[in-house]
This record gives sequence, C-alpha cells and structure tokens, in this order.
Amino acid sequence: MDVTTGFFTQDLWTWWLAVYLYFGGLGAATLTTTFLTDMYMKPHKELVLWGAWSGIVMLSLGSSMLFIHLLDHMAVIHVLNPLVLFNQPHAWIAWGTQFIVWMMVWGFLYSLPYMLESEFFNSIPVLKNVLAWPLVQKIGGTCGRHCRLCGWLATINGIGTVVYTGLLLQSFPAVALWHNPGVPLLFTVSAFSTALAFLLLILNLAIKKREEDRALRVFYERTDLMLIAAELVILFSFFFYLQRGSQSAAISAQLLWNDWGWLIGFIGFGLVVPFFLELKGVIKGWRSPAPIMLASVLVLVGGYLLRHYFMYAGVYARPW
Amino acid sequence: MTRYAMVIDLNTCVGCNACMAACAMENQTPVWKNKWRTYVHDNEIGTAEDIHRRFFPRLCNHCDNPPCMSVCPTGATYKLDNGIVQVDEATCMGCGACAMACPYDARYAVTYSDVRQGREFFGEEAYRRTRPSMDKCNFCAQRVLNGRKPACVETCVGSARQFGDLDNPDDPVAKMVASGTARPIMAYLGTQPNVYYIDDLKRRG
Repeated sequence: MDVTTGFFTQDLWTWWLAVYLYFGGLGAATLTTTFLTDMYMKPHKELVLWGAWSGIVMLSLGSSMLFIHLLDHMAVIHVLNPLVLFNQPHAWIAWGTQFIVWMMVWGFLYSLPYMLESEFFNSIPVLKNVLAWPLVQKIGGTCGRHCRLCGWLATINGIGTVVYTGLLLQSFPAVALWHNPGVPLLFTVSAFSTALAFLLLILNLAIKKREEDRALRVFYERTDLMLIAAELVILFSFFFYLQRGSQSAAISAQLLWNDWGWLIGFIGFGLVVPFFLELKGVIKGWRSPAPIMLASVLVLVGGYLLRHYFMYAGVYARPW
Repeated sequence: MTRYAMVIDLNTCVGCNACMAACAMENQTPVWKNKWRTYVHDNEIGTAEDIHRRFFPRLCNHCDNPPCMSVCPTGATYKLDNGIVQVDEATCMGCGACAMACPYDARYAVTYSDVRQGREFFGEEAYRRTRPSMDKCNFCAQRVLNGRKPACVETCVGSARQFGDLDNPDDPVAKMVASGTARPIMAYLGTQPNVYYIDDLKRRG
C-alpha cells in the first residue's frame, strides 16, 4: 500500500511550543549554570540573583505558552499534583511539569539568602516588607545553611527540565526527525550553550565587573565554544541520519536543508558565526566585549530557530 | 476475554461517507469544523488512463501499545480490557501530546467554542459533552457494551467495515486477521494496531 503514502507536517504544536521548549531549556540551564558557578567556582551574589530570577521568569513564560494553549485549563491540576509521577511515569509532560515547578521552588530558595541581603530587593516597596517577615528570614537562614542541598536539588530539576525538552519530542514515534536519541542530546547542548550566551550578556551588560569576573567570562566563553562545536557535530550527524533514513526522515531533511532560515539563519548566523567570534576571543582575545556580546545574541536567536524549525519540519508518513 | 478489532476492505469501500455521517451523529463530533472521528480519504492512484480512485477510511487503531496513552500526562487516555482505547474528557487537559504521538492522525481537539456550538447543533438536552478535550474514536463503546456494532460498521453500505473479536477463533474478523488477508498499517512503529485493512491494489493488478 506504500504507493499511496502521503507526507504531512503538523499544525498543532507550532511556534508557541518552540517558545515553550526554548524558554524551558534556556531558563533551566541558566539556573543550573549560575548555581553550579556559585557553589563550585566563585560565590557570586549578583550572578545568582540575575540567573535565578531571569531563569524563573523564562520558565514561567515558557510554561504559560503551553498553559494558554491547553483546551481545558482547569484540568492542569492533574499534572501539578506530584503524584502524577506514580500514575503516569511514562509521560514526559508529567515529568517536565514537575521538574519545572520544583526547579523554580528550589531556585527561589537558593537565591533567598542573597535576596535578603540585596539592596535592590530590599528597596522594592511591598517586597521589602515581605522579606522582613520573621518566617521569611528564618527560611532564608535555613536555606543559607543548607545552600548546597538547595543548589543540588535545583540543579537536578534543572538538568531534568533541559533533557525533558528533547525527550518530549523523542516520544512521538511516527516522526523520524523527533523519534531518535539525538534530539535530547541536541536540545541539552543547545540549552546550555544559550544559557552561557545569556550569562555572558548578563556579565557584560548588567553586572559589569570587568576585572573581577574576567576568569569567569573566559571560562563561559570557552565552554560555550565547545558546546557550539558539539552542536555542529550533532547536526552533522543528523544531516546524514536523515538523508539515509526512512521516508519521513528524508522529507524532513529536504524541508530543513532547503530552507534559508535553517541554513543561513540557524546554522550560519546561529552557530558558525558565533563559533568563529568566540574562537578568536579564546585564542587571541578581543579589545572590546562587543564581538562576544554579538556572538551571544546570535546564539540566543539560533537557539530559538533550532526549536522553531524542528517543530515545523517533523513529517508524518501515512498510507493515504 | 474479548479483544475488539475492525477489518476494513478497501475493495468494497465506495466512498459514500455514510460512516462519517453515522459516526458524527452517534458521537456528536464538531462537523461544522470538519472534525471527524472517522474520515474517508479519496485518492487517485495510477497514471494516464490507468487511474482508479481509492477510498481509504481512517480511524483510531485502538493499538495494544498506544503511543497516545503513554504520552498522556494526566492519564485521560486509557485502555479497557476489551482493547478499546478511550478518553476521559474530565481528566484531559488538552495539551495535544496524544495527537502528536498518534501515527494515524486519529485525534482532534474539541474546544470550548465547539462545546457551545455542539449544544446548539445537537440540542441542549441531547448533547452529552460538557468539557473540551482531545477526542477520538472509541469503537462506539456505548453501543458495543450493549451488544451492538459501532455506528460506522452498522451503516456501511458495502460491508467494507467489519467488527469482531480477535479472541474468538470463529469470528470472521479473527479469521481474516489470522490468515493474513487483513493486515495492519504502520505496524513497524510498534503500535500493535487493531484496525486491519484488506488491500485493493493486488486485486486491481
């Protein structure tokens, strides 16, 4: 019956799901990276506050994209209940929702001791009164004493969230582009690459401690460079996997590699250009932070484009 | 134990779409948005003068290993002991993961506006749905449990659709499946579907 095989893309999960996957991965990787940096590289109050709160905002934005598009918003209560993991342990959205919720909870608790001593947070009208409550002070003190525990609980949930964004797509068996072990790997590498790019922007634009944070910036640049290289290698193998795979894979390959947005936008400006900008920075250095900031912006845009094109290029092969 | 299955003979489907109409009335689907639990695709096969039309009825395959069920985060999609895969509209939050996972394009969304329009279209008292959810064929479980056949099977003028029990060796459906006359589609995906098709192209040469 294969003479009648038809190929179909889907219009159910479109750009908004790409936004969900993008902010989910970026937000969780940002939180994880800042906490690991603070715990093991260099205690950094500003970085934790920026990373934690921008990560929480990104996770909230991403989750709201999925929530807005639910058919029955009240029924979301079923996945917010942690017992869902016992009832539906094979459903990645159930895991992802729990990872996201607990990532935000532990992320908030990790940053709370820093918030209590932050001039900025203690100058916000209502919040400063809340932060002065004895209960909040007590919780903050406890979190400060057990910051490693909070940090690791946040990190575990953060890594879970990042990997989940790929596992979700991998769980759809009919689409060859999605249903393969490369997707969680690609999305994980991309999420940490975009998170490092985002933190480089924060270090250069918001925190601005040029000399104090030099070693940290160099470390982030080097790590990001390696992650971009790894992403290019994964995409290279995706290209050959799709070329010689099933018909669904071959049509996805045609859709992606015949599209200027994917080729020039994502691979060109989202990966190759930032790779060389950061390579030059690592080998010889730049006189100004502008090229690294440009590379960071390109990596961030590229991260979204990857997920956007992945959603639109998934192909179902059906016998009608 | 009963294990329900359907056999569809592509040789005798004439594309009258009576199955779609019967299903839509029985299960109150949002036809005003062209959303159906079962759909008959109309294709032309061949070249030049050697062309024939093929009508390909499509519905939920009630898989033994349903990907829609394994991705469902709330447990709204579940499988009965008789093999029927159902959706609990009260538990479904309508994320759409089931539709993305289904290789057979069997799922569609029923929105708040569909529920409102359904009350007008089918009548306030007759309309059964109360909430939005992802929807799909359930082999007319409400009829089957009362000893009747699914609406699409009962109405099919060419007897292209046959419904039976795979665990009953005397059932004609079980015999057609066991002999290999009727074969599942896209079984290589590991879904273990329970809708089987009798190919028309071999007979047509």
